[in-house]
Amino acid sequence: MAIIAIAYLIFLVAPMLLLALGSFGESWSGTLLPTGFTWRWYQELATDPSFRRAFVTSLQVVATTCILNLLIGLPLAYAIQAGARGGVRVAARIVTLLPVAAPELVLAFGFILVFSSDALPWLGSFWLLAAGHLVLTLPYTVTALVADMEQLGLDHYEHAAATLGAPFTARLRDVTLPLLRPSLLSAMLTVAALSIGEFQLSNLISGFLSRTYPVVLLQAFYGATGFACAATVVLLLLAAVASLTSGLAAQFAGSLLSRRAT
Amino acid sequence: MTLQYDNVSYTYSGGTAGVFDVSLEIGRGELLAIIGASGSGKSTLLKLLAGFVKPDRGRILIDGHDVGHLAPEARRLGVVFQNYALFPHMRLWENVAYPLKVRGISRDERRSRAVEMLGRVGMHSRADDLPAALSGGQQQRVALARALVFEPQGLLLDEPLSALDAGLRMEMRDEILRVQRQSGIATLLVTHDQEEALSIADKVVMMRDGRLVQIGTPRDLYETPADASVAAFVGQSNLWPGEVSGDGMVSTDIGTLSCDTAGWAPGAKVTVLVRPERVEPITGGVDTAKPGEFAGTMAADRYLGPVRRLDLAVAGGFIRLETHLREPLTGASIPPGAIRLLPPT
Amino acid sequence: MSPRASSSTLVGFATPGAIVFGLFFLLPVGAVLGGAFADGGSAFRRLAADPVFWNGLRGTLVLGTVAPLFSVIVGVAVALALLRLAPGLRTAALIAISLPLTFSGLIVAYGFILLLGRAGFVTLLLAELGFDPAVTGAFIFSPLGLGLAYSYYLVPRVVLIVLPAMGNFDRNQLLAARSLGAGGLRALIEVMLPQIMPSLVAAFCLTSAVAVGAYGTALALVGTQVNILPLFLYSKISETGTDLPAASATSLVLVAICAMVVAIGEAFRRSRG
Repeated sequence: MAIIAIAYLIFLVAPMLLLALGSFGESWSGTLLPTGFTWRWYQELATDPSFRRAFVTSLQVVATTCILNLLIGLPLAYAIQAGARGGVRVAARIVTLLPVAAPELVLAFGFILVFSSDALPWLGSFWLLAAGHLVLTLPYTVTALVADMEQLGLDHYEHAAATLGAPFTARLRDVTLPLLRPSLLSAMLTVAALSIGEFQLSNLISGFLSRTYPVVLLQAFYGATGFACAATVVLLLLAAVASLTSGLAAQFAGSLLSRRAT
Repeated sequence: MTLQYDNVSYTYSGGTAGVFDVSLEIGRGELLAIIGASGSGKSTLLKLLAGFVKPDRGRILIDGHDVGHLAPEARRLGVVFQNYALFPHMRLWENVAYPLKVRGISRDERRSRAVEMLGRVGMHSRADDLPAALSGGQQQRVALARALVFEPQGLLLDEPLSALDAGLRMEMRDEILRVQRQSGIATLLVTHDQEEALSIADKVVMMRDGRLVQIGTPRDLYETPADASVAAFVGQSNLWPGEVSGDGMVSTDIGTLSCDTAGWAPGAKVTVLVRPERVEPITGGVDTAKPGEFAGTMAADRYLGPVRRLDLAVAGGFIRLETHLREPLTGASIPPGAIRLLPPT
Repeated sequence: MSPRASSSTLVGFATPGAIVFGLFFLLPVGAVLGGAFADGGSAFRRLAADPVFWNGLRGTLVLGTVAPLFSVIVGVAVALALLRLAPGLRTAALIAISLPLTFSGLIVAYGFILLLGRAGFVTLLLAELGFDPAVTGAFIFSPLGLGLAYSYYLVPRVVLIVLPAMGNFDRNQLLAARSLGAGGLRALIEVMLPQIMPSLVAAFCLTSAVAVGAYGTALALVGTQVNILPLFLYSKISETGTDLPAASATSLVLVAICAMVVAIGEAFRRSRG
């Protein structure tokens, strides 16, 4: 078993390592590893207008997606967890499973069909792209938050606050939101990581001027290896940073959760 | 201030569990304990009073006013939860000051009142700590302080000692009683621990299947239990099925016993209750001809420190007794005054 | 029953989410699935007559079986190794392993081109040992090779699903089985396996659905060359003047496979509790 685990670690690291090496290699063709060292690819990337625009678009989409997740996903998660009835739970579970059952490709096709109509002519717009990212990440947000609320025993704290005289809004402000802060931070960072790397939907529904970074990245794969590596590494780093900080935030949330058990 | 249940019924949705036709009153300064097995409905009674669930029928009264429609935050009742539910993100003084904050009291005043309240439970030196830094007993004290700081109309304690070690439990029991007496507040204690209930409550209520089985002083419940289930739940007991065989006589599997049969017709089925400490041990010769005297051998001998708890095998069954004698026993005698007749089970 | 919030508040809280879900999920997916029947079922007949469709279906079924199977085996081994680590180290390792979950399929694709492509690191390494790079370099572009690339982000999913179940398993049971005379492997198979089986099936089903539905990695690796259903559908969607009802019908087949697999997984997940 340990051998498989070590082999898996190598398997995990090898592609990332090669991408990083390739991005600094002057040339890489027909050799085992790239030769020479250069910053050239990153400089080219930084000055490439379509990558620059895509980068900014991606950041805008990510920010919008996170904010919408917070505004829509948090209340939804709360309603599901506090509603707590069996039927609501089952419905919520099905809703979170549906996106797996209907692949992004099919959803993208649906967007093309529905939102290129005269009634809803939104295809290619920034907001439709953000809505697409929202609908892809919402199930994650809701599942993660409901699980944390459950584990936190939010109902105990809210009941306690109620007996001490706090009405609903005061409970939300003083107890619920502060307790959920680490969970929210962790969930939003994961949403950011998912959104920044999203390709399958964006590739088909983003307009030419609102193409996200991954969509433009695909074109780079047909060009110079070093450039493609550098462009990929940027995406990798963004996702990795978001994902790692999310993990750390979740750890912090977890330490709060475990403290509850006296 | 009094707390009162008036003919209250509540059924959990999709089940038969709940509480049925409960009427109860807790007077000013009185500590009433509700005991019962899990699922007996005792926690539901607390939830009804706190406002976590609303009664299907009947009224919940605080100081004579019907509060059945009020949300928990409007009832002004201090609740101490089983796991304390201290807010992990607030310092101890902030926890205790929270009910004052909600009521719009200035920061300086609520801090000084919170620290003073913490002092009453011996925790003032920890005012700036977070709850996670405390032991279970300390959290319990803070929870008690938080529940009392806003001068509530009643205090509700939900299994407050169940999460504590046995040793600490005794100490906290006295602490709760001291603080409760000091504030003179009507208090409801829900517990599955009959010893806890008997030792601090003014009145004890025994519940079974959502109904009150008996209400009385701790002494009432122990000495004159309403039925065999109460006798079995509260303290140790010998319970034998029997039949009234004549005036002053009851026949059981272990033989005929003489006792007061007033109120029971000859031929009536009964349950015979004898508390183990009322059985008299015999170490020498046994005269089985005497009514209530039995020869037997020791089937089990438990050393409990101050006393031994013995099961004596006699013809037809066992007699459980407690004695401080250290020598082997040859028999036991059950004096007529030790016997209580209860309805058959 | 809980007084945490009034029903109307909760309904208000859930409404925006429900609208988003309805407008941006149910409506588009419904339009696609409805479109499959727009011409009275003849789209299905055209599909059935198309050998490319059948090839794609076969490739997808292979991919949807092999990739999750491989991922579950590796994932269980990794989870076992993780459980032997000290808790702090385990958490760190778990965070590292979860990284690929959020990675774009494109990163994985290009990483694997560098690793196993025609001029990839491993391909050239194997060429030194006498393996024909034309053969080894083509592996990653086959459905099986695609499965290997997919496992890069499927294994973490498996680990996250099976780890709790395996962590909850009381290892004293294995010791008990061995004290009763069972060998180590036998104890593992007869005592542990049945208890973690539901989570293994759940992990298999979820990763299978992901593998069946995904197209990003495959597109980046091979364009639309490889015979899997999502790429068949992708080329239909992205071509202009395409047969939309046939594309809808293909979507329906894809959704049906994924939904069935997810439903099976969910049934097993429920049976566990």
